Amino acid sequence: MTEDRLLRVQDLVLHFRTTQGVVQAVDGVSFELERHEAVVIIGESGCGKSSLARAILRLLPRNVHAYSGKVYLNGTDVMSLDEEQFRREVRWVKMSLVPQAAMNALNPVLRVGDQVAEPTMVHLKVDKQQALQQARKMFEHVGVPVDFLNRYAFELSGGMRQRVALAMALVTAPDLVILDEPTSALDVLTQANIFNLLKRLKRELATGFVLITHDIATSSELADHVAVMYAGQIVELNDAARFFSEPLHPYSQKLMASVPRLRADIEPDFITGQPPSLINLPAGCRFAPRCPSRFAKCDQDPPLFGQGRRQVRCWLYE
Amino acid sequence: MNGVSEEALPSQPSVLPAKRARATTSTFSRVTRYTAVRLVTLFVTVVIGVYLTILIANMGGYVDQIRRGEIRESVGMLVMTDPTFKTMPTEMRQQRIEELVRLQEKRLGLDRPFLVRSFNYLSNALSLNLGRAQNMTSDSGSKQVRLILLERLPPTLVLFATSNLILFFVEIFMALYLSRRYGSFLDKIIVALAPTSSAPAWFYGIFLILIFAALLKILPFGGMVDAPPPTEPLAYALSLLKHLILPVLALAISTIFLSVYTWRTFFLIYSSEDYVEMAKAKGLTSREIERRYVLRPTLPTIITTFALNLITLWTGAPILETVFNWPGLGRTLFRAVGLYETSVIVGSTVIFAYLLAITVFLLDFIYALVDPRVKIGESGRP
Repeated sequence: MTEDRLLRVQDLVLHFRTTQGVVQAVDGVSFELERHEAVVIIGESGCGKSSLARAILRLLPRNVHAYSGKVYLNGTDVMSLDEEQFRREVRWVKMSLVPQAAMNALNPVLRVGDQVAEPTMVHLKVDKQQALQQARKMFEHVGVPVDFLNRYAFELSGGMRQRVALAMALVTAPDLVILDEPTSALDVLTQANIFNLLKRLKRELATGFVLITHDIATSSELADHVAVMYAGQIVELNDAARFFSEPLHPYSQKLMASVPRLRADIEPDFITGQPPSLINLPAGCRFAPRCPSRFAKCDQDPPLFGQGRRQVRCWLYE
Repeated sequence: MNGVSEEALPSQPSVLPAKRARATTSTFSRVTRYTAVRLVTLFVTVVIGVYLTILIANMGGYVDQIRRGEIRESVGMLVMTDPTFKTMPTEMRQQRIEELVRLQEKRLGLDRPFLVRSFNYLSNALSLNLGRAQNMTSDSGSKQVRLILLERLPPTLVLFATSNLILFFVEIFMALYLSRRYGSFLDKIIVALAPTSSAPAWFYGIFLILIFAALLKILPFGGMVDAPPPTEPLAYALSLLKHLILPVLALAISTIFLSVYTWRTFFLIYSSEDYVEMAKAKGLTSREIERRYVLRPTLPTIITTFALNLITLWTGAPILETVFNWPGLGRTLFRAVGLYETSVIVGSTVIFAYLLAITVFLLDFIYALVDPRVKIGESGRP
């Protein structure tokens, strides 16, 4: 059953060691994803979204305190591979990344065409001409003029750079693409352009997308599933359609209420307080201190209730 | 939001070729103008630097007083010991002395004010007309400053080219290695040893001589080859090599730890760039990442350091060469300072100034070659 799942993340943990203490950035995250699907991971800044991406991609900083759990890609446990195997068999072959700020993600002194061609040369062992040909095709695919192959990153606009990053992520046709806030540095029009492009790519490719964002409104267009992260944990997993109409977790409800509506005359709501520090987490439910529907039971740590595609970490659903 | 179509995008490149064409037509004039401005400013800098050196080496004209005193003394001695002057009346002899002193001073140009002559010195120095030394001779017995310097150049080159080249590449590779193993035991040792560079090379040289020459008696105290120098080329080379060990070691100890520490920190900063992480995510090997994503973007800095490193060869290391009795430029300079030999000091300085100016000038063009972001003479740059 699990074998045909594209991605299965099980109890993934990534803690960092800092001078102030251990940062529990990713604390037991599990979710699944199938081909042609996109899961959107929503949460406030500092809730561990980007760390989750790093944990899946095994892009670890030097101060890792704990890193455990299982990541299955097409049924293979990639966490058990050693660094060299992982590099050769998984990195950019099975999963790729569209980074947060595409300006810094491109080498300033290499032509972008070469950078896009690089993974093909490394992993598919083709010569440079063929790799560049592939890169050219990818550029056409994502709507970058092909003569931009010979340009440097600083000669491109922000939107074009993001498209180049996208072309780079897709050039080896990986099974899974992780998009780490791909549009957060762009203006609204360019964001819309990129999202239209993403929607098209999702239709055309047999790729699964993990989209990490705090922009609920735009992500709704792409999402099949939604995972809401709060303080290093997933507090709600839901189908996109149902999530956007009736979110389960009080945090999700508040989050959705904070989004301005175009056609409804509703004042955007806000959540009082701040997300907890990932170093000193509150005992019991991590959202309890800010939760409007808090009750006695919230002093205990809630498990995930529900099953399959709809799960929520809240005592209200016990 | 969905209303924005992607058709809006391809209009972008049609604007760009026109802009590019305009840029290429003006490239020549831009580079020419930049080159001219740069050459003039560098030359002005060299002139100021050399003139300051002339003022300082002459102690603002005080060296003239010393010279005058020396002339008076030597003329006095000459007259005193010459029997033909013995019979002269005192006034006549005094007159004769004054006459001789005046002639000598005139010969050396001391009759004109220092300020006037300083500009003469300046123009001679700048045209590399280094003139003749007064108190020093070259190894082959010439009084020409040019020869005094040139004959000492090979030993300095041998010592410093060897050590600088070896050290530079060892440092870069050790630093790269450590930046990969940041926080390892070896890394900690290097960081802990970095302060050893606060002591100069000659300081370590003294101890090395003490240990390896005086106590263990396995390496020579100093000099460049055995005396008498071996006639056979191979034996000569071996002897040279034997004499090189201690000074190179002294130079290495005094620079390597701090340099490795500095470079390693430099590489660490550049390896935490997002594009290095992307390269890792892309599955490149660590060698490819290092070459294309760490070394390549930092090439301008590495080249600059290397070029400046190379031209410091010219000044040698006065005290180290003196400690090791190494017949190089540094020791010549050291002796020239002691003998108030301004011609040699100024000569050495002016050559160094020119080397530095040429290097700086060339580096600007090299930057433009290795870093696509640098455009020569574009607004925002001098």
